[in-house]
Amino acid sequence: MAEAGKRVLVVDDAALVRLYYRGALESHGYEVEEALNGLEALEKISGAAFDLLVVDVNMPQMDGLTFVAKLRDLPLPVAATPVLITSTESGPQDFAAARAAGANFYITKPVTPEQLVALAAMLCGIAP
Amino acid sequence: MSFSDAKRYYVERRIAERMVATAALSFASYFARLRMDLDGEVEHFVNAFTVNETYFYREDHQLRCLTTNLLAERVAAKGPSAAIRIWSVPCSTGEEPYSIAIWLLENWPLVDRHEIEIVASDIDTAVLEKAREGLFGKRALMRLPTEIVAKYFTPEGPDAWRILADLRDSVRFTQVNIVKPEETRPNGRFDVVFCRNVLIYFDDASRRIAAENLYENLEPGGFICLGHTESMSRISPLFEVRRFADAIVYRRPPGERHG
Repeated sequence: MAEAGKRVLVVDDAALVRLYYRGALESHGYEVEEALNGLEALEKISGAAFDLLVVDVNMPQMDGLTFVAKLRDLPLPVAATPVLITSTESGPQDFAAARAAGANFYITKPVTPEQLVALAAMLCGIAP
Repeated sequence: MSFSDAKRYYVERRIAERMVATAALSFASYFARLRMDLDGEVEHFVNAFTVNETYFYREDHQLRCLTTNLLAERVAAKGPSAAIRIWSVPCSTGEEPYSIAIWLLENWPLVDRHEIEIVASDIDTAVLEKAREGLFGKRALMRLPTEIVAKYFTPEGPDAWRILADLRDSVRFTQVNIVKPEETRPNGRFDVVFCRNVLIYFDDASRRIAAENLYENLEPGGFICLGHTESMSRISPLFEVRRFADAIVYRRPPGERHG
């Protein structure tokens, strides 16, 4: 699988959600790590490179959009890591805020496992 | 026979069940009944140890009902982003609350959409400790498909599996005596309560006290699932019976305000 060895960081404060996304991604060969909020995600990406970050918006300590804005201010290449935002919100202002923060793609929950792996492949640059 | 500490709990509980069932006033009188094999007690005793031990996906028709009917109704009543609260009481060594979490991951397409809080309670602190550890033997996992075991457990030794940390983090454990309002109330209101195979061991008065106590822990419109041999209709008139394809459950009527 082209996905083999691609590394994804799932950032969500809900353990069930992290497990749900991780299960979908791992079944397609991705290596998955988890962070509980933006602050923990910043620590994780300073320690190792990822091919994709899947980031929830509403999280305690540091929300997803603040995290993405901070990510984009880091040195390259880490600043260029693709970001998929997952959110329960679906208003135009929510899309705009995510784009302004530097997200590559925005999807409204619920996200199906099929949608998640398709988006991950696209954002990791894997040809369909 | 010798038992580990974890098994000791089962032994005590099963013996207590048999003492209730035979109306024994003391262990000595129950032991006498067992030695004389009165009314086939040896077989009842053995059955108590072999068929009642809990396991993952026990009575999974209720879990199917949860994701097919109950959560849909609760979401319709509460809105598309509302938190959903589920209570497993008594939770014993954790098989039931963890089964609920795994079932939701595998079968509820909205699992990432709603904040889900699973609370698991028991009167027995020893089983709660065991539940938090999340280490299970072959028997507890016998009903789970092998791919589910591989996905959500890590093998530890030849016949033991540890449930993933994210699942342990998905369940909050509390100690509770279900007949004591001061212990049940702080757990808050739930959308669905699983209270299976415990009320049968109470006398009629305690059963009604426990049921009406749990009623206060239900959201208006919230559901309570009992064991398949139990009927709320014979316990308390407060609940409505709801018959779904996969299970009969009971509901706190919606709309009325709690005083």
